[in-house]
Amino acid sequence: MQIQLKCSCGDGSCPEWAIVELQGVVEVQQSFQGQLQNLEIGKLCRPSSQEVYTFTVGYHELTGSKVPLKKPFLVLKKVKLMDAEQSSNTDSANSPKVELEVVGIIRHRILFKTRPKALISRPEPVVKATAHASGSIASNSSQ
Amino acid sequence: MEPCTPSVSGGAEAVLALQENSSISVAYHPLYGPHDDLILLELDEKLLDDVIHQRVFLRGHPDENAVLCTQSKTYAVKFVGTSNSVLLIPSSNQVPEDEASQDGNQKKCDHDVASVIKSAPGHLELVEIAPKLDKLKLLLSENPYKLEDVSAMEMEEIETEKIGLYRWHDLVNEMQASEEELKSGLKALSAVEIGGYWRLVDESCIGMILKMLLHNSVLNDWMLSALDEDEVLHVLEADGFPRMIAHHCLSVFGDKVDKGEGRCVWRLNERRVCVHYARDVLREGKMRIDNFIDEWKKRVPEEMVANFHMLDGEVLKEKLGVETWVRPFRVSSLPSDPSERFSILFKERPKWDGRDLEPYIRDLSVPGLSLEGLLLKFTRRVQSSPEAEPVFSAR
Repeated sequence: MQIQLKCSCGDGSCPEWAIVELQGVVEVQQSFQGQLQNLEIGKLCRPSSQEVYTFTVGYHELTGSKVPLKKPFLVLKKVKLMDAEQSSNTDSANSPKVELEVVGIIRHRILFKTRPKALISRPEPVVKATAHASGSIASNSSQ
Repeated sequence: MEPCTPSVSGGAEAVLALQENSSISVAYHPLYGPHDDLILLELDEKLLDDVIHQRVFLRGHPDENAVLCTQSKTYAVKFVGTSNSVLLIPSSNQVPEDEASQDGNQKKCDHDVASVIKSAPGHLELVEIAPKLDKLKLLLSENPYKLEDVSAMEMEEIETEKIGLYRWHDLVNEMQASEEELKSGLKALSAVEIGGYWRLVDESCIGMILKMLLHNSVLNDWMLSALDEDEVLHVLEADGFPRMIAHHCLSVFGDKVDKGEGRCVWRLNERRVCVHYARDVLREGKMRIDNFIDEWKKRVPEEMVANFHMLDGEVLKEKLGVETWVRPFRVSSLPSDPSERFSILFKERPKWDGRDLEPYIRDLSVPGLSLEGLLLKFTRRVQSSPEAEPVFSAR
């Protein structure tokens, strides 16, 4: 069987997605487990005109830079076709027909490969996410 | 303090075009989750155009490792994991609408938010490989075109059983190869499209037609180096062979010579005709070399000279006591995967002289690896003196 890579982006205009990449794992505080939606992970800042970025997560600050990918990443979305056509689809027996659609392209990532710097000296979990509720972390995240 | 809805202006663009002295909040998307249906594929810039014009396919059965094919090349697809957190931020105009955000009660955030839709566990990588064409011969051998089909054809193609018959699009679906590679694979097997199906012509059938052709060349004083296509096909048709199969016979055993003037002229290829008769002689198995040569020379057409070198990659010579015997061992029956190929070769013979080995490996193709490289990787080379023929054994 074969799956065609569908692309409806038109000439070279696939929507560009972005990657923010950091070492290790972003851990969510116990109290927010299971309700990640809209939760703020951190604040991304570009302090100068150079491609240097900081990412403030809780009481930790990461420093990194924007780097172009050597080869672009395509973002593919697997689409299962579960409609009536399936019965006429003889070559893939009973597995549903799948299509792969190009939904985006990634050319850059913002990479944080340094260890986090503590903004205040208070024992904290390694990386901590804070609720994105108005004001609650404003004092920490503003540089 | 209820959470506010991310404004639509955020997304990847806001991250990538972040101005100096400004900041953006990075948050989990309302639909954040594993999203296994979103896959990252690392792709060479030069393949992008093929993707945009939808000329790229993933091929393979559930039990095979998928390959990615362009029109002319085949790539293995490998998953490369990462232990980093790769936060994926979609383009803003694509962020899937959350039902909640449509309800206007929620206040919009007053600042930009980039929403992370998933944390990618890794990406897919492509490695160019040789097409996997071994299965093609297997498929086409299920139902080769035989002499019986010749008479069946005349009865105006009754819709008989189509078991083991493959149309082009069936083959494209079955094979892990690009269309161009599939085409050359079919050519290498001397397959022919008959009535919409790609088929191998049974060796005894094609041999029969060749025999008739050679007969007729004697009867009609044709030159084997200049056969007029129309005339040959006309006569073979009169003998009861379908024109298309007769034409296929010309293309298997001959080369088209450009004559212009709207006439098609073929020259029979001495080597291919001789190899055909050598196979014919050895059909029963191994023979003493002198018997074989005698019998072979008897069978080839008078105008042709059989030479043992023609049988490179077709037969093996072996010494049994004082006698030398030959037996069929065809390179075309060996797998095209280098590691499988060498394993079979060294099972056949633990030690190979370089010159004996060469015909059995020269067709191997691995992108980015030369024949020398293959020998280094899969064999041990022993040379008793700098002038001596190298001997290869298994690694």
